[in-house]
Parts: sequence; structure tokens; C-alpha cells
Amino acid sequence: MKVATTRFGLVEVDDLSIIKMLRGPIGFEEHVNYCLIQHRPEARFRWMQSLDDPALAFVVADPSEFLLDYDVDLSEADAQALRLQKAEDAQVLTIISVSDGGKEITANLAAPIVINSKELIAMQVVLQDNRYSVSHPIVVRKARGNAQPEQDRAAQVRAA
Amino acid sequence: MLVLARKVGQSIVISDNIEVLVIEVRGDQVRLGIDAPKSIPVHRKELLEQIKAENMKAAAEADTVSNAVAENAQQ
Repeated sequence: MKVATTRFGLVEVDDLSIIKMLRGPIGFEEHVNYCLIQHRPEARFRWMQSLDDPALAFVVADPSEFLLDYDVDLSEADAQALRLQKAEDAQVLTIISVSDGGKEITANLAAPIVINSKELIAMQVVLQDNRYSVSHPIVVRKARGNAQPEQDRAAQVRAA
Repeated sequence: MLVLARKVGQSIVISDNIEVLVIEVRGDQVRLGIDAPKSIPVHRKELLEQIKAENMKAAAEADTVSNAVAENAQQ
């Protein structure tokens, strides 16, 4: 399907890659359909683009790219709602934000997006672990060997 | 809003499967014990408000976030 977005124009999204949230991110509960779009030039980040609102998109990233000791301890209820059988089927993304007028990049560790990558259903879960903040500063250094193949860099926006 | 007075050790029951027990009152702080099925999420309200505010900010400033990520990655 073709999806209109304010940032990327008309994007072709494979129906099989549409992520359906059981309820949208907190504050955006009615926005439930998303696709992932590669962020350029920093490929470790992606856009989570709403298919319901062309202007709504979040920058997201896999927290394991930046943090060594971040554990998502999913409640039984959340695991059940997401129909997760195995931990390997869970893909964790954190919403990225900024503080201090863009000087500091932060990740919301308290409420990650957990995706059942087999069924492509997802939810923003609220962790009970009070070590995790909604705006945890992260350091984005250029990853070693992160150079993207030219072909990839030139590629148009594509759904992950 | 329904307002009920409870003493330490007393509880209220919501529906037939949620119980909220007053464990301790110390100054302006109340400790509550909540017994609810695992399928019922229980969270501190201020955490949900923080998450909502952070989501709103992340969405409203998504372009700033994107630029900051790109700039930092170049360093």
C-alpha cells in the first residue's frame, strides 16, 4: 500500500511489514498502525512512521546499540497480550527524544516499544523497574565499521 | 468521585477481583497493597504522565531528534 507521510512523501509499505499496536503509544492511543523506515545517515536509528497520521513519526532505536545492561522484564500480562512465546521473537525499540534544546539525545527506557516480530503486533510497555528513566541520555558516537554500502546510502526510504 | 474513609488494615474491593489495602500511614504518605489479577496493569500515575509527556515531545520534536542523531553520529 502507498502511505502519505509529511517527511518522506508517498511511501510504499509492504502489507506484511505493517506493525499493528494493540494500543498506540501513550498519548497517541488511537494511532495504531506503523511502519519502520530507515533513518539516514545514522542507520542504527529508524523512524516509526504512523500510517494513520502522515505527520506522526518517532525516531526509534534498538537500545542494545547504546546500552549494555538494559533488560526488559516483560510482565506476564504484556507478554500474553503480545502473544510472545519466545524471548527471541520480541524486538525492543526505544523512542528517542532530545533535551536541552537538542544538545542531549535521550531514550525512553521506562516505556519501550516491544514488537512481536513474528506477528508484527506491538505495544508500548511500562516497566516496573524504577532504574529506568523516560529520558535516559545516550551517547551516539559513530559506530566503528558503520559505513553504509553506497547502494544502501543511495536507496530511497524503504520500509524495514 | 467516590470518596471512602479507611483505616490501616482496612481495604476496598473493586469489582470482584481487585483489592486495595491500606498498609501504613506515615505523615502525608500512604502505603497501599494492591491485589489484582496479573492482566490488570497497575502503575503510578505520575509515571504514565511522564511517559505521555515524553512521547508528545518526541513526536513534536522528531525533526530536531533526527538532526541531533545525524550530527552526533558524524562526530
